[in-house]
Amino acid sequence: MSSVLVVMEQRAGRIARIGWEALAAGQRMGSQLGLPVSAAIVGAQTESLAAEIATRPIDKVVCVEHPLLAHYTADGFTLALQQLIQTKTPAYVVLPHTYQVRDYAPALAARLGQVLIGDVVAIADGPVFTRQLLQGRLNGNYRHSGSGPCFVSVQAGAFRAEIPETGARPAEMIPFAPTIEPNQIRTTPGEPFRGSAQTVDLGSAQLIVSVGRGIKEAENIPLVQDLAKALGAELAASRPICDNCWLPLERQVGSSGQTVSPKLYLAVGISGAIQHLVGMKGSQCVVAINKDPDAPIFEVADYGIVGDLFEVIPALTEAVKAARQ
Amino acid sequence: MKIVVAIKQVPERDAQVRIDAAAKWIDETGLQYALNESDAYALEEALQLKEKHGGEVIVVSAGPERVGTTIREALAKGADRAIAIDCNDLGARDALGVAKLLAAAIKPENPDLVLTGLQSEDLGLGQTGVIVAELLGLPHATLILHVEKTEAGLRVKRELEEGWFQTIELPTPAALTIQSGGNKLRYATLMGIKRAKTKEVRQLAAADLGVDSAPVVLLEQVTLPRKQKSTQILPGTAKEAAAALVEKLKFEARVL
Amino acid sequence: MIPLLPTLAEPQHFSLGEKLLFAGLVVASAAAFWRRFGLVLDKILKSRKDPGFRLFPLGKRIWDFVWEVAAQAKVIRERPLPGLAHAFVFWAFCAFALVTLNHCAVAFGIGFLDPSGQFGRLYYDFAAVFAVACAAGILGLFVRRFFIRPKWLGEKLSTQSGVIALLIFVLMATYLASFFVSNAGPAALALWWLHTLALLIFLPLIPHTKHLHLVLSPATVFLSRGSFAQIPPLSGDEDFGLVAGTDLTRLVSLQAYSCVECGRCTEHCPAANTGKLLNPKEIILGLRAYLNDLGPASDQPLLGKYNAQEAVFQCTTCGACEYQCPVGIEHVPILVGLRRGAVNTGSWADGHGTRLFLALEHGSNALGMSAAERDKFIEKQALPLFDGTQEYCLWLGCMGGYDPKGREIVAAFARVMNYLGTSYGVLRKEKCTGDPVRRLGNDLAFQQLAEANLEALAQNKVNKIVSICPHCVRTIQEDWKEYGTPPEIEHHSEFLARYADKLPSEGGGGFNPRIKPTAGEGALAPVVRSSPGAPAVFHPVQEKIVFHDPCYLGRYRNVYEEPRKVAALAGELIEAPRSHERSFCCGAGGGLAFLGEETGERVSHNRAQELVATGARTIAAACPFCNTMFRDALAATGEGAPELLDIAQLAARGLPQS
Repeated sequence: MSSVLVVMEQRAGRIARIGWEALAAGQRMGSQLGLPVSAAIVGAQTESLAAEIATRPIDKVVCVEHPLLAHYTADGFTLALQQLIQTKTPAYVVLPHTYQVRDYAPALAARLGQVLIGDVVAIADGPVFTRQLLQGRLNGNYRHSGSGPCFVSVQAGAFRAEIPETGARPAEMIPFAPTIEPNQIRTTPGEPFRGSAQTVDLGSAQLIVSVGRGIKEAENIPLVQDLAKALGAELAASRPICDNCWLPLERQVGSSGQTVSPKLYLAVGISGAIQHLVGMKGSQCVVAINKDPDAPIFEVADYGIVGDLFEVIPALTEAVKAARQ
Repeated sequence: MKIVVAIKQVPERDAQVRIDAAAKWIDETGLQYALNESDAYALEEALQLKEKHGGEVIVVSAGPERVGTTIREALAKGADRAIAIDCNDLGARDALGVAKLLAAAIKPENPDLVLTGLQSEDLGLGQTGVIVAELLGLPHATLILHVEKTEAGLRVKRELEEGWFQTIELPTPAALTIQSGGNKLRYATLMGIKRAKTKEVRQLAAADLGVDSAPVVLLEQVTLPRKQKSTQILPGTAKEAAAALVEKLKFEARVL
Repeated sequence: MIPLLPTLAEPQHFSLGEKLLFAGLVVASAAAFWRRFGLVLDKILKSRKDPGFRLFPLGKRIWDFVWEVAAQAKVIRERPLPGLAHAFVFWAFCAFALVTLNHCAVAFGIGFLDPSGQFGRLYYDFAAVFAVACAAGILGLFVRRFFIRPKWLGEKLSTQSGVIALLIFVLMATYLASFFVSNAGPAALALWWLHTLALLIFLPLIPHTKHLHLVLSPATVFLSRGSFAQIPPLSGDEDFGLVAGTDLTRLVSLQAYSCVECGRCTEHCPAANTGKLLNPKEIILGLRAYLNDLGPASDQPLLGKYNAQEAVFQCTTCGACEYQCPVGIEHVPILVGLRRGAVNTGSWADGHGTRLFLALEHGSNALGMSAAERDKFIEKQALPLFDGTQEYCLWLGCMGGYDPKGREIVAAFARVMNYLGTSYGVLRKEKCTGDPVRRLGNDLAFQQLAEANLEALAQNKVNKIVSICPHCVRTIQEDWKEYGTPPEIEHHSEFLARYADKLPSEGGGGFNPRIKPTAGEGALAPVVRSSPGAPAVFHPVQEKIVFHDPCYLGRYRNVYEEPRKVAALAGELIEAPRSHERSFCCGAGGGLAFLGEETGERVSHNRAQELVATGARTIAAACPFCNTMFRDALAATGEGAPELLDIAQLAARGLPQS
């Protein structure tokens, strides 16, 4: 029957936030197209997660369970969802655009003769799906043609997760047991681990807070360290800071130090000399905090605050902590 | 180890983005092209594996005639030979269509390992490698930073979200999509370019690969995003600006 | 004519036995000489030919020979006292040509220079003057080498130098002594034999020691590549630079064997002076050792045992070594050749270097920035675009286009050009000229950049270029010649100097009224304007400005006075201890600005300290790289550091506010 099926994702025993966003996107499509919305959760034991999903105003929650699905594998998830989709025949399959989904969804779609429309940032009437091309410099509008389910994955943050209504009746929870043989799982995943705690690897850091000469003295660095901690970011510095030995050399970002390309680069009290810029220009989003409105760093920043960092940084640390709750 | 690396030629990073007359893609006049960045890392990984374990590295690429320059660059960096799939309507095919072309060219080679970059800089779908794996019936893993050969096959290091990593073991033959940054790239040398002149580039025509090209997903139209890159200076007191910044980072930039 | 000295004594008679002995010794000495010299000559001639070497035009070659060899000009100018001493020794040798010939002829009774004849007397007195000068000179040089022991001559004492000095002294002493003995006595004969022995021992020693330069260096100076720091083209598909012995060319081999080990190159080297491994003298001697051990047909790598790769990549290509060399060794093409050998074959695996090469493989600039940044700058600064109709194309370069300080220089220069009403435009798109990759030896990257740029310039119909960067100027004018015909180009200092009298001057320019400083202000009050647009009024005390000669403008282009003329518009010019052709590098050249941290003391800090110590209020630069290097170094100096400005900014300072 025609419906919208949203595939939820779990992380550390909870539904990932982006999963709720995918559900919100699915719900929007359902109401736009007049289709019922179901959600699926995949794992070995999904009851408690399914119950949580069931509190949302959707039609059904499918518990796709099998012992071999205890840990994520591409083969396992692809097989399980393939069987689910072939049974339930949804018109649309909505997924969160996570590393996990990128790992299996293209294969899943291909197996069913379809192509995933991935990392969607907007869904308009049609439905027409918008995704970003040329690293954000161009938008593309995609349409699905032909029969068979349309696979869509949504970008994190593109669809705000709706606040759950209280008092709504819970959705129906349906079990689904796929058939999976052990020899069909060809990869053996290991336990996730963090990068080495000792060595500083700025090159692969996703969030970086970088401090420059504006910090004035070594004693003030803990201010910036607090912000970094609140953000879960790595601490970096421009050359003068490392030259003075206020921070170790491996934290230096610049032409004679590390080259970084994080999602977020927060430059605190850094003027933006070319030697520093070449080390961090690959950052996806640059925020600059400097009291000099003409500092060159603002030329490359996406967001800037012209102000006294000794006031702005503590305020920012508080704001980040509040947002993280 | 026989390794096939699928590479893509994409418009240069610096390319000026102007929409063409039909509003279906960007205007390609005067565009410079380059090897896709994560494909360069895939090639590097392949070359390092060959240097360590011996074997052959074959690059395959689909596209119009200009793709030849990128193929030669890959040969200059150390690939042994190449397969060029002449295809002038790459943009009219969807990811499945393109993957079918590549799979058809790769299959007769029977490689131990197929590598692709994680995603392309132009379309950024990130799917071609996974679909190729599916079409060839190979086990696969994505976002790979490091590949090690083992007795049983391969041990790879995969990137997870938020600074986590994972090791995966899988048998060969297999397919992997390679994330940028795992290795140090090598530069093209004069010696490499000269040697590349004598390396084999086998030409295949897309039409001859017996692959249907009717796409299921169509790119109907391209538009310029409304917000051009300009600095947003957040006004107000320290507290106000800080709050505004967090809001922007969460919902506009989506990096928090 | 009053005789200077008594008549020179000449032995009158040689017995047959003595003649035979003499002849035998001459043959033995000559054979010993040839045995070694022939071998060296063979190695030089067996080296491969230099591609692109042209003997003609001869004018410059002859001039260099006269000036540097005959007149010993470089030898004297760059190290006056020891240089003069050496010059005396050399001139004495020249003067003694006839004397020595006659000395030998006398043994066989066919002497032609009669000591009692009028011409003979004149000539012998003439030679005696030189003999005194030579003896004094060689004594002084001996004392310098063995007692004063200057650092640049090296740690080890050179026995061969001592022996040669002794022999030269004996030659002069025996000659002079011969004036004071009689023809007939045994003394004359004894002196004759002593002189002969000294000669015949000296001769074979020449090719076995650094005194080989006696024979080779006139040829080395004459056969130079033709211009300063000239990088030769690669020839054919198998030429990747200096990889192994088979790559050494005749010029390189000739130069390696000509080295006198004087250490002038090392003395002026910025790397050697700041604790790096690089020692230009050792590079040349390393090649010589290679040739001695393995010869020019060997395929053993040149880098490794004989010279370290690390050292070769510490060179800023400042050219001070090549400039100083009195025997015509061209260090820069040798160092670049060694780098080519490492880079073109991929055996140089430096992280920063690789990053630079990758940035230029596909990007437009050496900094790896997006071209959109340059577009933004052009728009913001409202620079006119070049459309083929303007007189000048203003070339921004990577620093002018992307570096915040480089952009300030461009902005200032643009202001001056606007004031002068110059017709100019900037290109919509620029690619890096390729200077850093050229100096680092990456010919693939350089070829791609040069060819793309030449095509773009032709398409845009560019005839004349003016640039703020000496590296761009050099690369465009000289290095691009390998791939086409570049347009005319000049540095902005040359342009500004031409119009200097049209620009308002802060220093002594008569039409600016002066005011007295207000109470409490220091001797150097800042510029004050009564209202925007009003003429500038200046404090009567001129500020002191020290100009730093950029390597690529000074030594490379011989431009020293033009930038000074421009800087003088803004104050009183003073000189740093090392200036003009002796200017000490800022450390950025040779692609080093794009590589990682230096070992040892930072070159830029060394030079910055020297500039600060002059007491100048302002340091004037004429190169955006020097500017960026000193900016970092001065920041480390802290408060009270002099202001750092480009000459364009100094020129613009006097302009009325727009």
